[in-house]
Amino acid sequence: MNLISAASQLYKYRVLLWALVVRHLSIRYRGSALGFLWTFLNPLCLMLVYVLVFRYYIRFNEVEHYTVFLFCGLLPWLWVTSALLEGTASIASGGHLITKSMFPPQILPAVAVVTGMINYVLSLPLLFIFIVANDLPIPWTVVFLPLIVVGQALLMFGLSLVLGSLNVLFRDVQHIVGNALTFLFFLCPILYPAHVVPERFQPLLHLNPFSVLTLFYHQVLLEGVVPNLLSVMMFGLTTAICLVAGGMVFQQYRESFAELL
Amino acid sequence: MALVEYSLDIVGLSKSFRRKTLARAGYSTIKSALLGGLSSAAKWVSGKSSRETSPHVLTHAIDDLTIRVPRGSSLGIIGRNGSGKSTLLKLITGIYKADRGTVQVNGRIAALIELGAGFHPDFTGRENLMLGGVLHGLSKKQLEARFSDIVEFAELEEVIDDPVRTYSSGMFMRLGFSLAIHTEPDILIIDEVLAVGDAAFTAKCKDRIAQIRREGRTLLLVSHDLDAVERWCDEVVWLNKGKVADRGNPRRVIDHYREHIEKGEEQELLRSDRVAEEERGSMDLVAVGGGPHTNGESRGCSEENTQSARWGSREVEIESAVLLSGGAEEHRVFHPSDGLRVRAQYRVNDASAIDTSRVAFGIAITRSDGVLVFGTNTTLDEVVVPLAPKRGAVEFRVARLDLLDGSYRLDIAVHRDDGYPYDYQQGALHFAVRSAGGQVGMYLPKREWLWENVVGEPAGSPKLDEKHSEQRGGTL
Repeated sequence: MNLISAASQLYKYRVLLWALVVRHLSIRYRGSALGFLWTFLNPLCLMLVYVLVFRYYIRFNEVEHYTVFLFCGLLPWLWVTSALLEGTASIASGGHLITKSMFPPQILPAVAVVTGMINYVLSLPLLFIFIVANDLPIPWTVVFLPLIVVGQALLMFGLSLVLGSLNVLFRDVQHIVGNALTFLFFLCPILYPAHVVPERFQPLLHLNPFSVLTLFYHQVLLEGVVPNLLSVMMFGLTTAICLVAGGMVFQQYRESFAELL
Repeated sequence: MALVEYSLDIVGLSKSFRRKTLARAGYSTIKSALLGGLSSAAKWVSGKSSRETSPHVLTHAIDDLTIRVPRGSSLGIIGRNGSGKSTLLKLITGIYKADRGTVQVNGRIAALIELGAGFHPDFTGRENLMLGGVLHGLSKKQLEARFSDIVEFAELEEVIDDPVRTYSSGMFMRLGFSLAIHTEPDILIIDEVLAVGDAAFTAKCKDRIAQIRREGRTLLLVSHDLDAVERWCDEVVWLNKGKVADRGNPRRVIDHYREHIEKGEEQELLRSDRVAEEERGSMDLVAVGGGPHTNGESRGCSEENTQSARWGSREVEIESAVLLSGGAEEHRVFHPSDGLRVRAQYRVNDASAIDTSRVAFGIAITRSDGVLVFGTNTTLDEVVVPLAPKRGAVEFRVARLDLLDGSYRLDIAVHRDDGYPYDYQQGALHFAVRSAGGQVGMYLPKREWLWENVVGEPAGSPKLDEKHSEQRGGTL
């Protein structure tokens, strides 16, 4: 019951959520000359480095259009990073919103997730430009993209609720998350395609929701393949578990946030 | 059968904080949790009965509190710092969770708990109003309809599109207050924030609060401004250490509270005078004794700390001095209408070295901010000093103090008529004046108001006798 009321509170305060997201986005680049262009420049720079190292130094030739491939997986990963890092710290750094006003704390992780999502969606045109520039077709499976985006948003929200709540109790959580993300980045098929992973390590690829997510993006945006039902269900289940766990941990501690901060 | 409806129904409310939590800013690390767990596990394994590792000292911020606030009434909460007022408000607004007991809130709360709380510093005033409005439960439409009223009331038209971090504290308060009252709450909670407003805005706030009361809304006021509490509240609760020390009629409770405060203050002043006296004594050894006494034991810094000092050649010495009012008991907190008596014992140490006809006693009163209230001595007052050959006492009397609120320092001295000091004791005694009338300034003369009708016929001119002038609100 409490989970539902917390969720409905989130809906009730959607205006607030939206205002905070907009603010978040505009503050991020305030005072920079290039402003919103950084939304595109950040992933581009990152991609350039990876292409240079893997394509030209290591001469990695397993993927034909490596740049596009890399970009396709990198963009949602940037969302994962920002959502989890900011989401984890969000409640602990909520300050007087938490300690001195009647503010629904679950909004803060949600803001981190939605902000990342908007950034991702805004950088999509760049990806499509890359696809077209490489003479690749945009497959029809792109219609599934919104579903995957929503799926990722829910997974991120569930996780950042757990992590954000725990981080109030133990500030170590935010450092652990930072390190865990580095691990996860290399475990996801972002820099390499799934087929280069040796058979005995394949389970690692399919049990990790983040790498499953990366596979989904590759499938619908590049390969024109509909994700198979089993992995979609697995992913859905994982997401649901994360959301419920997030809600439970959050409910367990929400009333002590004000005292602990 | 009349059904009393409560806006707030607080029953058996308790809230404790762990000292440890307070001291360590609240959060721990996994490391400490793990280490704690490991060490207790190790002790458990090794079979040693572990001593309870730091039993958390509990501070009872709110202790079994039961308060009912009927709809449309206004409750004042008073108490010293740390008495649990803010904790209570945070429990009512749901920011804190109660350990025991329940808080039932019937209606929508708008709370001004702290200056600028809930405002995002990087947002403009306009954006903050929009966000705050949503937090207060207004729809976007309602908010847009009231927006200009809110800004106009807050007098922030010119800066409403600037980030609020550029606002002054007064602007913060105006924005918060204006928003809170325009959300038309059922229960308005105000915690001491009005103090930062300028006089004009405070007056406007007071009007609006009066209006809110007329409209039958419930008001919860936490304030150190006892006059405001008395004026606006139907009932007052005095909190002391998380418990209700007294409650009921505002006038009675506030008087009770003042009395209590004065007692505490009196003790405090008596204690600090005693400390100062000791320090003056030890300084004295350095100044006069010389030789064997000038060792590292002396404390020369006491003058700055306590504003007390003593100097002079000590042919005549003031042995002790006490402050009295009516009776024989020492007094430290006075009302403006109280009399003041300073009684000093003196001793003549070396009668041969002085000209007894030239000995003068003096007294001076200085306010804590350094303003000299008055000073006089027997020479100026043309009083002949009948100096006792060995020891004697002198009493200085003021029939009515006529001073207003403040802390005061009393200097007492015996010196030659040309000012040469025998024994000058600066800050020998300290006292405070507490008035209830709210008049401002330092001096409260005995006063009256006279009225005349236009035709020239004298109207009744009731004299403000002592009793009358003590009544709060009796004067304009």
